[in-house]
Amino acid sequence: MKLFSSNTRKPVTILSAVSSILIVLAASSFALAQQKVSRRFPAGKNVRFELKNVTGTITVETWQRDEILVTALMDTRKATFNPRQTETGLVIDIVGDNRGRGDIGDMNFKIQLPARSSVDLETRSGQISVSNIQGDLVRAHIWTSGDIQLSGVNASRVFASNTSGDIFFDGEFASGGTYEFKSGRGTISLQLPANCGFHLVATAPVKKISMGPFWDDTKMKLLGEGRRITGDVGDGRASVTITNFQGEIKFFRR
Amino acid sequence: MNCENYQILLSDLVDGTLMAEDCARVEVHLSSCPDCVGARDDLRVIIDFCREQRGRYDAVPNERAMWLRISNLIEAEKSSPARSQAPGEAGWWFRLMNRSWQLSFPQLAGLVSAIVLVVAIATAFSVYRLSSIASPQVAGFVPTSGGASIEDRYQQRQQMIAYWNQRVELNKARWNPQMRETFDRNMSVIDAAVTDSMKQLSQNPHDSVSEDILNDALNDKVALLKEFSDL
Repeated sequence: MKLFSSNTRKPVTILSAVSSILIVLAASSFALAQQKVSRRFPAGKNVRFELKNVTGTITVETWQRDEILVTALMDTRKATFNPRQTETGLVIDIVGDNRGRGDIGDMNFKIQLPARSSVDLETRSGQISVSNIQGDLVRAHIWTSGDIQLSGVNASRVFASNTSGDIFFDGEFASGGTYEFKSGRGTISLQLPANCGFHLVATAPVKKISMGPFWDDTKMKLLGEGRRITGDVGDGRASVTITNFQGEIKFFRR
Repeated sequence: MNCENYQILLSDLVDGTLMAEDCARVEVHLSSCPDCVGARDDLRVIIDFCREQRGRYDAVPNERAMWLRISNLIEAEKSSPARSQAPGEAGWWFRLMNRSWQLSFPQLAGLVSAIVLVVAIATAFSVYRLSSIASPQVAGFVPTSGGASIEDRYQQRQQMIAYWNQRVELNKARWNPQMRETFDRNMSVIDAAVTDSMKQLSQNPHDSVSEDILNDALNDKVALLKEFSDL
């Protein structure tokens, strides 16, 4: 028995063809609405890069060139983008540049800069990813929701904070450095080398701090019914403060 | 003619200025009235004393003016019942303030004692209240090093939060639905932290961990509202 006769198969084929055309048209119109902008800026070895975004993803990577490459993918053509060069580096203020323009949609940034750079990144929502930065400062702040991933970071000052979303740090703590991680609800994970040394003040709800291999009975103590752990790991020369209102704090050995 | 009429004429009789006819009639009456004789004798003694003492005292410079002033004072006293007697529709405070007080020494001593007693009780009560407010056990919150309790600081923060929240609410209508949802969801995370730490502090006012979390959460809330107030 034939499931489809030749007469019924024909309209189905036509319908499929029309649907495919519509999908292609919709995709192409969306692509046309998006705007991709790339700009290059000369930079020295030690550069400071600042970006204040509204919503969207920020990805920062390092490369060998003494220049900064900014690639922005904007949802709408309504958004403007005016990087400002300073004596020490580059400042991009999307919030200021687009004030009064209403909803400008997501702006996704990919930044490539020298390894010995400081980065100060901020967005109202979206993801922030920073890798292999070796400069003085790494600051990543998400006002509301979004994950923060800091990989291969070796800076003397690191600040990472959001309200909802996970924070992941994989790097080293410099002696005398300051490191602060803060979240409202996400999980804060730190992956550290076995020989690292820092003084820790970690605060989270009861039984939500896991020190893993870095727990030391002789040097650490629990406060506030286990909601806070203070003490030294190794030489204790770096200062590490971690606060999580509702989520977990986890330590891993690299 | 009765004794009163005769006594009016006594002064002229003693002075020797009375008419002869009247003088005879007064003399006839005096012979039969010992009261009027007594009045004549008293008047004569007074007049004799005055005649003897004449010149020893300086005369008043302006006798007429002095009597006029005395007369005015007497008239003023007569016309001042409005001061001593308040009108019926006047309030109790008016009547109290316009009343003349005449207290005996025991009454005055009693009044002073009562005032001292009331002041002492009021002072003791005030001191007790101040100490009870400052006490962490009674208030339920730990006083901070700056002197203000956490509850005070919480109230101050709440005022600031109310201000920024008002500004955010004004602009919220312009946000897209996704932004509104994201903002509300994240604000609820911070609010939950505030509520939890307040609950912990109400159970244990000396919980420094909860105090730190409360401060952090309130600071975060203010910062988030500020950031979104101009969106």
